[in-house]
Amino acid sequence: MYCPKCGTPNDDNAWKCVQCQTILQAALPPVASGPPEVVPNYLWQAIVCTVCCCWPLGIPAIVYAAQVNTKVVQGDLAGARQSSKNAKMWCWIAFGSGLATGLIYLVFAVISVVLQHR
Amino acid sequence: MQTFLPHQARRVERTFWVGVSVALVALIAGVLRVFNPASAWFFPPCPFRVLTGYLCPGCGTLRALHELFNGHLAAAFRLNPLMMLLLPYVGYEGASAAMETVFGRALPRVFIRPTYIWILLAVILLYWILRNTPLAALF
Repeated sequence: MYCPKCGTPNDDNAWKCVQCQTILQAALPPVASGPPEVVPNYLWQAIVCTVCCCWPLGIPAIVYAAQVNTKVVQGDLAGARQSSKNAKMWCWIAFGSGLATGLIYLVFAVISVVLQHR
Repeated sequence: MQTFLPHQARRVERTFWVGVSVALVALIAGVLRVFNPASAWFFPPCPFRVLTGYLCPGCGTLRALHELFNGHLAAAFRLNPLMMLLLPYVGYEGASAAMETVFGRALPRVFIRPTYIWILLAVILLYWILRNTPLAALF
């Protein structure tokens, strides 16, 4: 960008003009303040894993989901995002292990049925 | 040939996965309506119950859904009241997430106060313990 005062070319991210020391960033429009950031808490996925995957690994996901909303209320967005990541991770762990055990069972069930009918 | 911008391609891909998920849920619901997990051979048992002999908070969910899809509400509640109470919330949020992905617009967002989620956690843990005691006869 060019300095609005003296016309010297400056780096786009420059804070002050290299020539006349005029503050450049203040001239930029303020950062758009959109709607407040929504930090997903993955609560419904955690509930599904707790009551459907038949595998109580969804409990830690619910703990992290509660932490997300607790930190959002406290204004700790960085902490909320971290808990959100953990909630997501535990949902996948619970879902994955539930699905895996279910599929393994199904394979064995099919094999045993096939063997019985031979 | 139609070309997609990167964000549109992502949207198309995600919409595809929403479609796959909805089809899977519908398929499982259909199978659950026709076959009773209490007697059909191909439904997996709860690994926690197999390993420990104790019920987990999710035990009875498949049988309860079978009763629900056949219109037997009371029987469904008896098999897993916790799941039945949480089902409307899960359905709402699940539909909202699907709509946001496909149409770019979610249903009105509900922010649940953290206290209520902590209470929910306590209820789930309490339900887990109590349903393994003689008190389970109460519900």
